[in-house]
Amino acid sequence: MSDRPSRQPAASLPRPPLDVVQQWFQAVVTHPAGVAAGAASPAAQRLVRLDRGALEQLVRRSRRLTAEQRLEIYANAYYARLLECLRDTFPVLAQVLGAEVFDSFAFDYLQRYPSRSYTLYRLAESFPRFLDETRPDQQPGPGAAGAAGAAWPDFLIDLATLELAIAEVFDGPGAEGEPLLAPADLLARQAGGDFAATRLAPVPCLRLLRFRYPVNAFFSSAMAMRTRRLASSPELLDSPATSEAASAGTGAAAADLPIPDPGEEHIALSRTDYVVRRYSLTPFESTVLAALVAGATVGEAIASAAAASELPDDELAAQLDAAFRRWTVAGFFRAAAVP
Amino acid sequence: MTTPPRLGHANLGLGVGLRAAHFDHILRHQPAVDWFEVISENFVDSGGRPRHVLRQIAERYPVVMHGVSLSIGSTDPLDFSYLGKLKTLAREVDARWISDHICWTGVLGSNTHDLLPVPFTEATLAHVAARIRTVQDFLERPLVLENPSSYVTFAHSTMSEWEFVSRLAEAADCGLLLDVNNVYVSSFNHDLDPDEFIRSLPHHRIVQFHLAGHADYVTHLIDTHDHHVVDPVWELYRTAHQLTGGVSTLLEWDARIPPFPVVHAEVLKAKRFMGERLPAQPAAPAQLAGASDPLGGAGHRAPPPLPGIAPATTAPGAAAASSMPPQVPHPLHHLRPEVA
Repeated sequence: MSDRPSRQPAASLPRPPLDVVQQWFQAVVTHPAGVAAGAASPAAQRLVRLDRGALEQLVRRSRRLTAEQRLEIYANAYYARLLECLRDTFPVLAQVLGAEVFDSFAFDYLQRYPSRSYTLYRLAESFPRFLDETRPDQQPGPGAAGAAGAAWPDFLIDLATLELAIAEVFDGPGAEGEPLLAPADLLARQAGGDFAATRLAPVPCLRLLRFRYPVNAFFSSAMAMRTRRLASSPELLDSPATSEAASAGTGAAAADLPIPDPGEEHIALSRTDYVVRRYSLTPFESTVLAALVAGATVGEAIASAAAASELPDDELAAQLDAAFRRWTVAGFFRAAAVP
Repeated sequence: MTTPPRLGHANLGLGVGLRAAHFDHILRHQPAVDWFEVISENFVDSGGRPRHVLRQIAERYPVVMHGVSLSIGSTDPLDFSYLGKLKTLAREVDARWISDHICWTGVLGSNTHDLLPVPFTEATLAHVAARIRTVQDFLERPLVLENPSSYVTFAHSTMSEWEFVSRLAEAADCGLLLDVNNVYVSSFNHDLDPDEFIRSLPHHRIVQFHLAGHADYVTHLIDTHDHHVVDPVWELYRTAHQLTGGVSTLLEWDARIPPFPVVHAEVLKAKRFMGERLPAQPAAPAQLAGASDPLGGAGHRAPPPLPGIAPATTAPGAAAASSMPPQVPHPLHHLRPEVA
């Protein structure tokens, strides 16, 4: 007897309304355990009550595939597509974890945070939060998070946060083509008497991040290793910058790097000429910048940061002088104004 | 008043789907392409390089916007925020038309980011036609809708896909984007005659053709956009060209993307299937600059052999997480950031 599906049509159900069909279809093809489990799930059964093996009452078989096999094409595509998108957003993290563990995290993430936006660019936005919610110390017992090594969940979360921020800054609003506060303008204001009362308007692409692990340095190492590998394997450069090629470059490097020891790291992300750039900050600089971004005057920002610092005033002043110049050259501010 | 053929849209010639992998090549070499189609979702929210690049390209080439998120067949409410962004971008890049798919992408607020099939019933027809009219009123222009590739059909459908598409276009007074590869893929998957499919459509409503490659899994075909166009699809294109008199033709290549000249050469092959009925093309710079084509008129060369396609060795019914197919079906559109 042949297993080949016949073309004999199965007895069909009364015509279900379109909204019921769509809810049923979505419940079935997005079910984490596959189509058979999805069709048998309470959510699907509430919509369309089908006995096991009776999928042909709603979905036709073809000459070559059963209804269940045909639905599996959509089910496989759903996860394949979204997992690839997440790997693309977190190439370094994916390689640090390894494909299997990363996909396991991502698969679970899609159960908790399915896409609710028309754009794939928002798919990953809750991934760092999800990693935090599922860290081993909050998930007793064996689980996917534990497989990554319970000693460094903060590292994974910080790395995910950095990669997500890079993606958001890359395609978010920027200041290209707009006038920025020029270093000469800053010097003039510093020379004038009202610098302390000045408020600095940040560019919209400026993001300040604080990490528990030096993930920015780790990311830089992964990038540098990628550059070296591209130099030794120029065929990677000849191929267009597909996600596969890019992941093969940055990601494969990350897998070979040792996980760093814990250590606080502060950075600013910004974008010039449509390229995301990363800037290391001291804790003191980070506090000043955060206050400025929140709307404080220069004087208020410095005073609050200085109060929290143990460094002597002259050292802080020297740090700040250089920092303001660097930040202005980097295009952190659109304008300066005295209220 | 009767609707003019192709909604009055000009034949733009032979175009290529704009992909980020080719941004630098296009900006640097300004290749002799007739027009570009862009994936709307890659640009509507962009405040960065993608939109910056698109603005430059739109200054030189005709641009058409092709979306994957309209979800015109869904029973969820229309997303007017998304539609507003489409309208803004269309104005910004002087989009010649806006297209999407006859499908739904999600329900109950979720988005699967797939092009899901609808049952072909009278109720679906009325529902989708009404939504198309609403969208057209909002966008203040006709929509152009594409037949998607599909992998299932519904037992309670009461008409063929071509009847559904034809009646939908008439009821909503919209245009059609005939994806010739999708006709081939769906016809194989559903045991249909692709020639009958194409011959049964209202040809005066066809504004545009799509061409693409697909993956052959023996038991079914998947619309992966990661290969050259296969010969049977080219033959269907010949038929479609004769039936319509020739309309704007666009090649999509979305995965394992080769260098731009290879993609461009692929769409130029279409010239061989236009026969005597090829309408005169406008003498646009893009048409006249064939000598600058990096492949030196590769469209007239013999097509390269089809790349080997490894059929799936496992049934597609295995658990979702553990048996991913090697290729992700269209659509997948996500741009990688550039970081220093």
